[in-house]
Amino acid sequence: MSQSLAKECNELKERYDTCFLKWYSEKYLRGTGTEQNNECSELFKQYSSCLQGAWHRQAAGRGPGRTQGQRLDIHEQEEITDLLRALSDWLLASELSVMPEDDGLMRVFWPTDLPRSDCRGVVVGWRNSALDVLVVAVLEEVEPRRVESALKLGNLLRNAPHPVSRIYEQCGKSSISVLGVSNTPDTVEVDSSWIRVTIPPKQRVPSVTCARASSIQIILFERPLPGRMQYMSLDPIALALGDKHDGFRQDFADSGEEDDEKRERLNKEAKRKLVEKLKQHSVVKRIPSPKERALPTIINQINWAWELEKLLQQNVSRIGTRPKRALSVSERVVESATTARDMILVWLWDMITIYVLPVIKKLFVLGLMAHRVVAEMLLRILEWRLRPRYAALKDISATAQQVEIRLQQFCYWPMQYVTLRLRKNDWASVTTSHPDYIRFYNSLWLVANDVIIGMAFGSYIIDNADWVANEISRLLTTYTVEALQSSISWLMGWPAGLKLNTELAAFLGDLFLWVIEYWASGIRYELRDTQDIGTTCNDNNPLRQHPSTSVIALHPIPLDFKSMFYQYFQMGNRIRKHYLSPRVAMCLLMGKFVPPLNRKNLYSLQYSMLPAKRAGVMEMWDALNSLPASKRKSMPVQVPILANGRNRFPSNYGGGRSRSYG
Amino acid sequence: MLTTTPYLTIRRPSPTTAEFTLTTCPPLTLRLRAALFGVLCLRFIAVLSAIIGIYSAFFHPSGLLPPPIFPSGRITLLDFELNNFLLHILHLLYVSAPGQSIASLATSLPPYAVLALSAITAYIALFARIHTTESLLVLRGLGIQMSSNVGGGYFRLGGGTYMKRTRFIPTEKIQDILINEAFKGFEVRYYLVIVVEGEEDVVVCFPRLLPRRKIVERVWRGARGCLYEKDGPVMSAGAGGGSTHNGNWRGGNEKG
Repeated sequence: MSQSLAKECNELKERYDTCFLKWYSEKYLRGTGTEQNNECSELFKQYSSCLQGAWHRQAAGRGPGRTQGQRLDIHEQEEITDLLRALSDWLLASELSVMPEDDGLMRVFWPTDLPRSDCRGVVVGWRNSALDVLVVAVLEEVEPRRVESALKLGNLLRNAPHPVSRIYEQCGKSSISVLGVSNTPDTVEVDSSWIRVTIPPKQRVPSVTCARASSIQIILFERPLPGRMQYMSLDPIALALGDKHDGFRQDFADSGEEDDEKRERLNKEAKRKLVEKLKQHSVVKRIPSPKERALPTIINQINWAWELEKLLQQNVSRIGTRPKRALSVSERVVESATTARDMILVWLWDMITIYVLPVIKKLFVLGLMAHRVVAEMLLRILEWRLRPRYAALKDISATAQQVEIRLQQFCYWPMQYVTLRLRKNDWASVTTSHPDYIRFYNSLWLVANDVIIGMAFGSYIIDNADWVANEISRLLTTYTVEALQSSISWLMGWPAGLKLNTELAAFLGDLFLWVIEYWASGIRYELRDTQDIGTTCNDNNPLRQHPSTSVIALHPIPLDFKSMFYQYFQMGNRIRKHYLSPRVAMCLLMGKFVPPLNRKNLYSLQYSMLPAKRAGVMEMWDALNSLPASKRKSMPVQVPILANGRNRFPSNYGGGRSRSYG
Repeated sequence: MLTTTPYLTIRRPSPTTAEFTLTTCPPLTLRLRAALFGVLCLRFIAVLSAIIGIYSAFFHPSGLLPPPIFPSGRITLLDFELNNFLLHILHLLYVSAPGQSIASLATSLPPYAVLALSAITAYIALFARIHTTESLLVLRGLGIQMSSNVGGGYFRLGGGTYMKRTRFIPTEKIQDILINEAFKGFEVRYYLVIVVEGEEDVVVCFPRLLPRRKIVERVWRGARGCLYEKDGPVMSAGAGGGSTHNGNWRGGNEKG
C-alpha cells in the first residue's frame, strides 16, 4: 500500500487497510462474511474524514493557485484511486454477500427417461438455488397454481410407502417446488424464475429457456433405478469396512514390521509431506459457490428422482384431470374372475404365513443362536493369549486362522442380513446400505466359491490320487534330486576338462550327494490358498456439449478391470514385492533361508471385509428379534381417488373438471 | 509420419465449457488415413499369423497337409455351421503359401515357444497404441474431467473417437490448479497439477504426454478462467512471464 497523502492520516490508513485485507481474505473469500463489512466501516469513516480535513487544510494553505507541482498531483491521484478501489471492493463485497452467485448461468438437471408428450405440463423438482434446478417430474394437464398449493399442502406426496420427511432430509431441501411449465405457448405469463421447456417429440434434449438466465447448462442424466440398486456416486464404492484399520494396524505392530513394510511406510510419509507442501502453494483459498457445494446433494436428488416421480405421478389425479379411461365391461369381468382366484390363493398363503412360517423362523433363529454360542467359544479359544504380547493360537497355525476367519464370517452374516432387512423398511433410494448388500453377497459367494472349488479339487485329487502323486514325485525327483545329483557327479569327475583335487572333490561330492539323498527321502510340500473379491459400481461422468446452451450428459462408467480386481492386484503386488526383491536374490546367492511371506499379510485382505469387533451373542439375539415382522399384505384400502374418471364415483366428486372416456 | 509432436486443440462449445485436447495424432488427411489403414491391415495379418501358428503347432504338429473339412470344396447350406465354417477358413489359410511358411516356422519351434510368441504378437497387434490423446474437459460449476485414450484406437481411422479412461473431479474438491516443475532425466518439465482436497496425491494432468511449458500455461489459464472467472476465460496465450506459476491469481469474484 502506498503512503497516505497526508502524513497525519498514515496511521489511520494503515489500520483500515489491514482491517480490510483481513476481512477480505479471512471472511469474505471464505464465504463467511455474510453480514456487512461492519468492522472496517468505522475505520474507513475515520480515515476518510481525516483525509478530507487534511486536504482542505492543504488546499487552504496553498491558496487558490495550486501550482505546487506535478509530483504531488500524481501522488494524490494514486491515493484517490486507492481509495476508490477500496470503496468499490467494499461495495462489491457487500453486494455480493447478498446475491452470492448470480452469474447468469442456469443449471438444469434433466432426466432423459422422463415420459414425453405434447400435453401442457408443469415441471416440478428441486430448486437448489435461484439458478440451479433439478427436474423430477413433468405433471401433465394441471394448473401450475394448483400444483403449487398442492405441493405446499403435501397433497402430492400422499400415500407414500415410507415417511416423507426422509425425502427432504436426504435431498437437502425443505420442499419440492414448481420449476416451470412445459409445452406452454409464450403468451402465457409465468414467473420470471420459471423455466419454459419445450420437448420436441423425437429429440433427446429438451429446449429450455428462462427469463433470468443468460446462459443455460442442461445436464442430462438417466435416472438410476432404485429397484435394481443402481445409484450414482462421486466416488467408487469402497467395500472394505472403514472402521477397522486402526485396530488392525496394531496387530501388525505387535509382530514387528518387516523391512520392506517399514521402507514403504517411510516412503509414503515422505510423499505425504511433499504433497502437503505442494498444497501450501495455493495462495487464496477459493470458496466454492453454493452451486458447486450443492453437487453431493444433487447426486442424492438424482438418486431419488425415480421414486419421487412415481409418487408424484400417482398423486397427480388428486389435483388435476388427467384423462383416464374407465374399465370396460369385459375388463371388469376379467378383473372379478382374477379376484376370485386370487382370494383362494391369498387364503392359502395366509394359512401358511400365520401357522407354519413363524415356527420355522423361530427354529431357524434358535439354530443360529446355538451356532453363535459355539462359535463364540471356539473364537475365544483361538484368540486366547497367555499374556498380551504372546501369540494366540490363530497366529501359530494356519488351520486355526482359517477356522477363525470362517467363524468370524458366520458371525457377521446375521448382522449383515438384519441390516439388509431393515433396508426394506425405508425408501429404496437410500443408498447407504448398498455396499452392505454387495459385501454380504460377496462374502456368501466367496465362501460358496471356496466350497465349490475345494470340493472339485478334492474330488479330483481323490479320484486321481495315484496319478497326481506319481506326477508330483516324478517332477520333484527329476528337478530337485536327479538333476542335482548328475551335476555333482559331473563336478566330481573332470568338469569341462578341468582337473580338480580329486580327493577333495570326491569328499565334497559325496557329502552333497548324501545331503540330497537325505532331502529326497523327505520331500514335503505345502499348498496355500487365499481369495478375494471383485466389485462393480457406477461413477458419473459428463461428456457432451452443444452451443449456446451447453448440454452435458451423465454416463455411468463401468469400473475398469483393474479397480474391479483391485484387491487381487494388491495381493499380487504384495507377493511380488516380497519375493521379487533384490533381498531374495541375495538370500538365494548366499544360500540363506528366504523368509516366507507373513501369513497375516495375505489374510489382512480378508479381514478387511469383517468388522473390527464382532457383535456379541446378546447383541445378535436383540438384532434378530428386532427384525420387523414381515408386513402382511393387507387388502388395499380403497381410497376414493378424486376425479380420475372412474365411473364408480360420481364424475364431479371433489369438484374437479373431470372427463371420462367410454 | 503417423504421429507428430503433441499439439493442443481447444474446443469451446459454450462459454462455460472448455475442452483442451492434447494429441499426437496429426489431422486426418488422406495420406494419414491410408497409412492408418495399412497399419490396421498389418495388425490383422499379425493376428491371423498368430492364430495360424498356434493352429499348426498344436493341431498339425507333423507338418503334413490335413484333409479338408469340406471334401467337396464347396460349402452347402446344409453343413453350414459356424464352427465348421471357421475351421474351414482356418484350413484354407493354413494351406495357402504364406500360411505354409508360417506353419513350417511353427513346427520347427517347440510348441510352448510358439504359444508364447503368438500370444505376444497378438497382444501387441491388438492393443498397441499409435497415438496418445489426453484431454481435459472443464465445466463451470461442475468440475474437471480428465480422459486419456486406451486400446488400439481402431475407430480413429474413420474419424471416430477413442475408447477413453476418464476421471471426474468435482469443483468443490479442487483446491487449486497449479503448474509445478520436476526433473525428468536431465531436463526440467513443467506440468499441470490439480490439488484435490482430501486426497493423498495430487493429480497430474496429461501424465503421459507431459507437454511443453507453453502449452501447460495456456491450459492453465484457460482452465482457471473457465472454472472460476465470471466472464469466461482470458484466452491470451502469450504474456507468459515467470510469475504465472501459482499464486498471483485472486478470487474471480473480485472483478465482478
